[in-house]
Amino acid sequence: MKILLGTFHKDIDYYIVQEDGIVSIEIDPEDMYMPNYLFVKSHDLMISSDDAVRSGEGVFDFRYGPVTSGVGEAGVYHLYTYGERILSVDIDLSYKHRNISNRLIGLDFKSSLKMVEKICGNFAFSHSLAFSRAVESEIGIDVDQKSERLRIIALELERIYNHLYVIYQLAQAASQKVLASHLSYLFEEILRMNKNFSGSRYLKDFNNIGGIKNFDEKRLENLRVDLQRITSEFKDLYKMALESGNFLDRLYLTAVLKSSDAINIGITGPNLRSTGIKEDLRFGDPNYENLNIPTKNEGDALSRMEVRAEEIFESQKIILEHIERSDQKSQSGGEKGLGFCESPNGTVAYKVDVDNSTISDIYIVTPSFFAFKGIANSLKGNIFTDFQFAVESFGSNFADAAL
Amino acid sequence: MVWWPARGIKRFLTEKAPYLSKENVKSMRIFKRSMHIYSVDVGNSNLLNFEIKALQSSQYNTHRFGIYFADSPRHADLLLVLGKPTEKMILPLMNTINQMPKPFGILLIEEDDEIDLDLPNIIGRLKNPSPSDILSALLKVMERN
Repeated sequence: MKILLGTFHKDIDYYIVQEDGIVSIEIDPEDMYMPNYLFVKSHDLMISSDDAVRSGEGVFDFRYGPVTSGVGEAGVYHLYTYGERILSVDIDLSYKHRNISNRLIGLDFKSSLKMVEKICGNFAFSHSLAFSRAVESEIGIDVDQKSERLRIIALELERIYNHLYVIYQLAQAASQKVLASHLSYLFEEILRMNKNFSGSRYLKDFNNIGGIKNFDEKRLENLRVDLQRITSEFKDLYKMALESGNFLDRLYLTAVLKSSDAINIGITGPNLRSTGIKEDLRFGDPNYENLNIPTKNEGDALSRMEVRAEEIFESQKIILEHIERSDQKSQSGGEKGLGFCESPNGTVAYKVDVDNSTISDIYIVTPSFFAFKGIANSLKGNIFTDFQFAVESFGSNFADAAL
Repeated sequence: MVWWPARGIKRFLTEKAPYLSKENVKSMRIFKRSMHIYSVDVGNSNLLNFEIKALQSSQYNTHRFGIYFADSPRHADLLLVLGKPTEKMILPLMNTINQMPKPFGILLIEEDDEIDLDLPNIIGRLKNPSPSDILSALLKVMERN
């Protein structure tokens, strides 16, 4: 199965971006995947659940956001309900829209890399990596082994702290105070570990186009010690969390997303893997050997949490392995102007056109955009108290989706 | 297995640090014993939201200083404005400020872009702060360090 990274259009021609390159497609309104292509293409700022019910006896629009403690970011959920059960959801991304893809055009590489990191602060490294891979393949720069190794380590570090954050948020939503406060401790410890490793708590300004220069190898030794301490502590907590019946009850069969729906929407990453589909961009990367990616079958909030927790251990294994190894293969070859990587929440892909060392055209695919459609669909039929679990378990950000 | 409430009960995760701030923030002595904070995201890259979440971690233990995070601007003494407002967030931000009980302060927390809005009662600006920078500035506002 080919991985769909996104679509874009020039005038009236539609293209889809796949793992092995860009394919032009014919528009066929009868095609079942067509609405999905159009959905991606237009990059709407309003995302609605399928078969939305917005009227009926006693049905009203419960507007949640943008200034509320329940929605941490500047975004609005329109929950259509007659009291307790959510009938359909519209998600308004426009409050966070910063017009970044237009502002990127005409910038040089250095300032555009900085701007790309500002799309979503907690996925800063994934965005920076996908963008620099796109630019490197467009202008033909080869990346050395050492940088490739550091990039793998940093990408996995980003995955660890984001996954831990999601589990922390879920524990807090379920009022698991002890678990949540232990996880908050680990969360801050990981951010400090990131700072010791890269100089930034969120791995910003670490990656450069062409590779990572001036890295002190001694930092890797500290990283190994810190990482082992943090993950072994997390392992204990996670084991205990799985024995806590009232925590699992809140998550089990909450906000279920079917695997067919997940594929149709274009969801990638841990949210797709929690529906039973074993798919990951890292499978195609020769640097990841013996990759053991966890999958779950239910597609509910619990599965999404379990997949993330097990990925933390897998990422730890990958990092420790790459600290020892130094025979990474540099990535070259790919489609010109196309760069992608597996961010904590799924595929981040960039399609870049370069003119005179400045960006002349850019198309960005972010995983949170699809995840929001998944949230809107999976929330249907759930009750208000499950809202937090649905939203937090998908791990998506308005900043990532709205650009 | 350890019983949940007993888990880690002997561990002391709170850090003792002087938390001295060099930032230029105005102090509000009235909040010396307790200050309730509400933070509003107006269009930052989510990084500042993460920093506020990290500030609520066990290491900083803001409750020992009487710093609490409120769930509504109506319960808050200090408003943290995170990031540069997008066009659509200016009105919700103004409405939030109108809901604040007096006296109140506004602390602007910026990323690289500067906030150039005319807001009442601004007591200071922080640029790309870490949680310990934010905590130090808050303690300076409370005149506790």
